[in-house]
Amino acid sequence: MVKKEIDIAVIGGGAAGLAAAIKAKEKGIENVVILERNEELGGILPQCIHTGFGLRYFKENLTGPEYISRFIKKVEDLQIESKLDTMVLEITPDRKILAVNSIDGLLELQAKAIVLAMGCRERTRGALGIAGTRPAGILTAGTAQRLMDIEGYMPGAKIVILGSGDIGLIMARRFAMEGAKVEAVVEILPYASGLSRNVVQCLDDYNIPLLLEHTVTSIHDTDRVEAVTVAKVDANWRPIQETERTIKCDTLILSVGLIPENELSQTAGIVLDSATGGPIVNEYMETSVQGIFSCGNVVHVYDLVDHVTEAGELAGESAARYVLNELPPLHRKIILKAGDNVKSVVPQIIGGEEPVTLHLRVKKPMRNAKVKIGSLSIPKRAVRPPEMVVINLAEKTLEKLEKKKELEVGIEEETES
Amino acid sequence: MKKKEVRVITCIICPVGCKAKVTIENGKITKIEDLECPRGEEYVTREFEAPVRDFFTTVRIKGAMFPVLPVRTTQPIPKDKILDCISELADAVVDAPVKVGDVIAKNLLGLGADIVATRDLDRVGRIGQE
Repeated sequence: MVKKEIDIAVIGGGAAGLAAAIKAKEKGIENVVILERNEELGGILPQCIHTGFGLRYFKENLTGPEYISRFIKKVEDLQIESKLDTMVLEITPDRKILAVNSIDGLLELQAKAIVLAMGCRERTRGALGIAGTRPAGILTAGTAQRLMDIEGYMPGAKIVILGSGDIGLIMARRFAMEGAKVEAVVEILPYASGLSRNVVQCLDDYNIPLLLEHTVTSIHDTDRVEAVTVAKVDANWRPIQETERTIKCDTLILSVGLIPENELSQTAGIVLDSATGGPIVNEYMETSVQGIFSCGNVVHVYDLVDHVTEAGELAGESAARYVLNELPPLHRKIILKAGDNVKSVVPQIIGGEEPVTLHLRVKKPMRNAKVKIGSLSIPKRAVRPPEMVVINLAEKTLEKLEKKKELEVGIEEETES
Repeated sequence: MKKKEVRVITCIICPVGCKAKVTIENGKITKIEDLECPRGEEYVTREFEAPVRDFFTTVRIKGAMFPVLPVRTTQPIPKDKILDCISELADAVVDAPVKVGDVIAKNLLGLGADIVATRDLDRVGRIGQE
């Protein structure tokens, strides 16, 4: 077995991992290694061929491949080592990494710090429990995207999409552009789960019906999907039988949510947050295990890659400071708890002394909202579940923050006076 | 006789997503209602008068590790020209290697926008691939 000692290992070469590796190297860390399962760097971005990336980070409207190309080039320019086609099998709390690939065979890396950037994966049919048979033609939206836009296959001709998350909407448009008929996008909630920009430009532009408060109740036939049954749901998401109808199609695309991929975090004994499905992190993006940092969709699922890059840079910088012995422990720990209309908060632990950016996921849409952190109140014109709420706690605001052991972060609707 | 029509246009400038009620008489906007800010008015007017969209798709590529290359236009194109552009590029085949930004087709359909590659794809020399 190959054994090596390195400074920083970055697990995952997507948007978060590349940003972390670049930042760590720029901070003066010599030996940074990226471990990537896929055959190339980039994570999910190479298959996101649409525009809308980088508006915040580069102030430019880029496609996914263009956005990530800039980071891949930087990794190459900085001569950061990346091991592709490499599967990490285990991480220990003392930062040993067991990995395997066809060049090194079994590989054991002892790292001074680790950045976890494994991203997330899609929920599948198994997570939903849809009745019916198991024919070919049922794919997650991301798989369909990879097939079409990287591998050059057309997955189907008559499509039904379950779930109105962004990838599902984007794929509705891609199918329509390439000549498939998208019969419907079916959403169980009373509003679209994706960004409103995507509802307009992906569905309205192509006259694709969005069936709100509907779900797929059954999938038909044995060899290939022949049809699905859809029904309206009641307030408790139970299908109303009288409303059932059949839609003929050859493909069912699932866009029903993403789950942070944390099997490796668990082997290292890292404490996860049940609300995000990712590691609990402090304002340095450090997990509950010292010297192991985490960033991107493995921490919680983002809607904009620009924010993922920023989180990656923060984690990479913190990992570098840790290796250089320049990362002071937090003087004080304030635990942030999700309160009213808040599903999750990241980071979950802050010091309350240095400026920090909070990312909140809300449960339901609200107008004229007020974000409350303890007694501190910050106005927000509108909040929607698809769009992450970003709160910058600058020095001035921090002065007003209560320095308690635990603070509740909630959102309330301002009542007109 | 005056032709009067009311159309709903969703503003996509911010997360509020106002649904503007746009009154159109003789092909001109005469009234915009249910918007909360002036940015929305600008968007809705543009969206009515000359809607444009970013254009992106893939083209076939020979000699690369993948069979398709993602491409985009250098600027947005009229919304109603998207499917024409798709058809125009349906039979396009390029040869690897390609670098991000390489021009794949100049002034597509005379719309004033070039089609450029959005990633690098190196040439891979595998026997029997061509």
